[in-house]
Amino acid sequence: MSGEGLLINVGEGTCGIAAGAPEVTELLKKRFPDAKFTAVGCVGMCHQEVMVDITNADGKTYQWGNVNKKNLPKIVRFHRGEADLPEQLLIKSTDAPDTEKSQYLLKQTRIVLRNVGQLNPTSMSQFQERGGYTGIEKVLKGGMSPEDVIAEVKIANIRGRGGAGFPAAIKWGFARGAPGKVKYLVCNGDEGDPGAFMDRSLLEGDPHSVVEGMLIAAYAIGASKGYAYIRAEYPLAVEYFGKAMDDARKAGYLGNNILGSDFSFDIKIKEGAGAFVCGEETALLASIEGERGMPRIRPPFPAIKGVFNSPTIINNVETLANMPWIINNGGQAYADLGTEKSNGTKVFALAGTIKRGGLVEVPMGVTIRHVLEDIGGGSPTGRPLKAVQLGGPSGGCIPESMFDTLVDYDAIDATGAIMGSGGMVVMDSKSCMVDLARYFLEFTQLESCGKCTFCRIGTLRMKELLTKICEGEGTMEDIATLEELAPSIKQASLCGLGQTAPNPVQTTLEYFRDEYIAHVKDHRCPGGVCKGLITHTIIQKDCTGCSICERYCPVDAIEGELKKPDTWVIDQQACINCGMCVEVCNPDAILAA
Amino acid sequence: MSNASLEATVDPSEVQGWINNLGTEPSAAVPLLQAVQRAFGYLPRKAMDLIIENTEINASQLFGVATFYAQFRLDPVGRNLIKVCHGTACHVQGADRLNTSLRHVLGMKDEEEDTASNGSYTVEDVACIGCCSLAPVMLIGEQAYPNLKGADAQKHLVKHAKTVGEILPGKDADKEAK
Ligand SMILES: Cc1cc2nc3c(=O)[nH]c(=O)nc-3n(C[C@H](O)[C@H](O)[C@H](O)COP(=O)(O)O)c2cc1C
Ligand code: FES
Repeated sequence: MSGEGLLINVGEGTCGIAAGAPEVTELLKKRFPDAKFTAVGCVGMCHQEVMVDITNADGKTYQWGNVNKKNLPKIVRFHRGEADLPEQLLIKSTDAPDTEKSQYLLKQTRIVLRNVGQLNPTSMSQFQERGGYTGIEKVLKGGMSPEDVIAEVKIANIRGRGGAGFPAAIKWGFARGAPGKVKYLVCNGDEGDPGAFMDRSLLEGDPHSVVEGMLIAAYAIGASKGYAYIRAEYPLAVEYFGKAMDDARKAGYLGNNILGSDFSFDIKIKEGAGAFVCGEETALLASIEGERGMPRIRPPFPAIKGVFNSPTIINNVETLANMPWIINNGGQAYADLGTEKSNGTKVFALAGTIKRGGLVEVPMGVTIRHVLEDIGGGSPTGRPLKAVQLGGPSGGCIPESMFDTLVDYDAIDATGAIMGSGGMVVMDSKSCMVDLARYFLEFTQLESCGKCTFCRIGTLRMKELLTKICEGEGTMEDIATLEELAPSIKQASLCGLGQTAPNPVQTTLEYFRDEYIAHVKDHRCPGGVCKGLITHTIIQKDCTGCSICERYCPVDAIEGELKKPDTWVIDQQACINCGMCVEVCNPDAILAA
Repeated sequence: MSNASLEATVDPSEVQGWINNLGTEPSAAVPLLQAVQRAFGYLPRKAMDLIIENTEINASQLFGVATFYAQFRLDPVGRNLIKVCHGTACHVQGADRLNTSLRHVLGMKDEEEDTASNGSYTVEDVACIGCCSLAPVMLIGEQAYPNLKGADAQKHLVKHAKTVGEILPGKDADKEAK
């Protein structure tokens, strides 16, 4: 069987590629040379990568997960009719749509992610088959005025998904009313939160929806020029978004007199260059102008005086990708989802110690627990979950006891964390909250642009104190100093970076104070993470004497005789507590405590 | 350790080509530096001088920008570039061990050192490459390696070195290869 009549979709987003999708595709093409292949974006089931959808000639579809070159032959034989269905690789099929694995998607409400993983991101025709560009057509051909568009978005009550949560319609209204011949619309695809990838998957998996969203926004505010500011680390997003722009231009959706109207708009891509602060809107503008990405004092707000001194609206990728749906389905349908003040859906990027990591889109108003446990499947390690970090370096840590908090801007703010852009990093009991705070402060300190003294020096002081505590040298006074510094840094910083940098410290101090105290008073790291406070020892009764730890120890601190467990020891003087040995030890015979 | 052998030779006409394409106004600074870095892996002084001479961008702006953004580097890179993700998801899942392990087989002892003494590999820390659910992750060149333990990083590197014909200066590299 040559594969004639088969339709094969392979998820080839960044994560699919990382998991080995190109190799799987190549092998499939050898087995089924006559099948029709489509490389689709990432559907967001990262825990199931590599994912392959195969539709048989009879129209039945099978979705396979965790495909690799070893188990691929089982799938091939099944589609050739030579073997039974390999149950353990199946996510779902036409005959069995409702499986345990497919719950991950079935429990989501996909509006923004409506197309990711469903189409080839470089195909204009596939996008149009799925209703692409009908939103902007409705606007331009259906006689909607810019004010009508703003009114619809106002009904939807969508708040900015980039982190600050400012209502999109109100912002658009400012720019609409601002005087200026040329206005700009900027799509913020900087996705600075390390540990988040919602915007990547959209730019990469459904770039046309972002282009269409930009068109709608530009029309509403009267912008003729646009920039898409995309993070440097996302080469595939830059490539696919660029392709989408070119195709849109050819089809008459970008350029002069779009669809025969008097609305003209075009977009340029600006690649970021690796600065977190450039996600902040005024720093982003400075960066587009070719300067160091230093935030500027507001007012004047960018909506009045932005890039090249012209009125400018900056919107996040996800905010914009919602717009075509809102125009097509009406603002009310969007507003019907969610809570009173947080409407619509939110996409989260689930990562860390979680069974089913990936992209999750849920209506606002569900609980965090629902996202982590019902959809994410909870802890994969057998150890209980301890906390989730929301909002990255600007956000905070929510303890397990508060997982019933609603996904709602105000409810999450009340915990001291923020909704943020959607990064959710989950941690189990083998993580250290002091180390996490130290990690974030090291990050913000490096990323501080240096303009404000409190942000520049204050974050450095906090980082030093946290490092000291992690090394077991901290005092109770240091904790008090951290608590004193936090509000001062927040108050005396110009932009959101400094204003939020202390959040991870404040929330961990509030919810995990006992861990700080264990570090200071007992010189103990309860999570077994902080190198200065742990030692590694071999539990000889569990050891098999296989010597693998010796092989990987970078400092030759482990010695013993082959197959003689009672001879194996770690030289504590030489050991750097890197933990390499723990990872490679099969019988779990090395203790870090 | 001198990496003089890694210095790039800059062809002025190539730099002029980028300037012609990307423009001479101040807002072209970042794209120009990106073009240079894409070609050489770093920003050779000669290329910087050419940009300053042939555009409206002055030295203070250009170096200001080059030193502000994490993407840019002023020192040459090794023949192969390894990027280790240190985003939150990768950090909490042990990204530090990837560095320990890689640096070990690359024989990099000095903390400041990021390139192996024979110029084979440079190890760079980056913030999130967007595969957080597959953490920890590293890239060798363009190829991403997901779900790594410290030891895996080492194995992939040893394999890679074999395919591209590089020698790993770390002392256990050959032991591992067996
Ligand atoms: C330090 C800092 C980093 C930020 N990073 C991002 C980012 O990566 N992406 C983003 O969309 N917004 C980011 N923001 C928020 C933007 O300033 C801005 O509020 C947002 O892009 C507006 O779009 P929205 O209204 O659609 O959310 C950041 C803010 C700060 C203070
Ligand atoms: S945190 Fe490493 S890929 Fe995102």
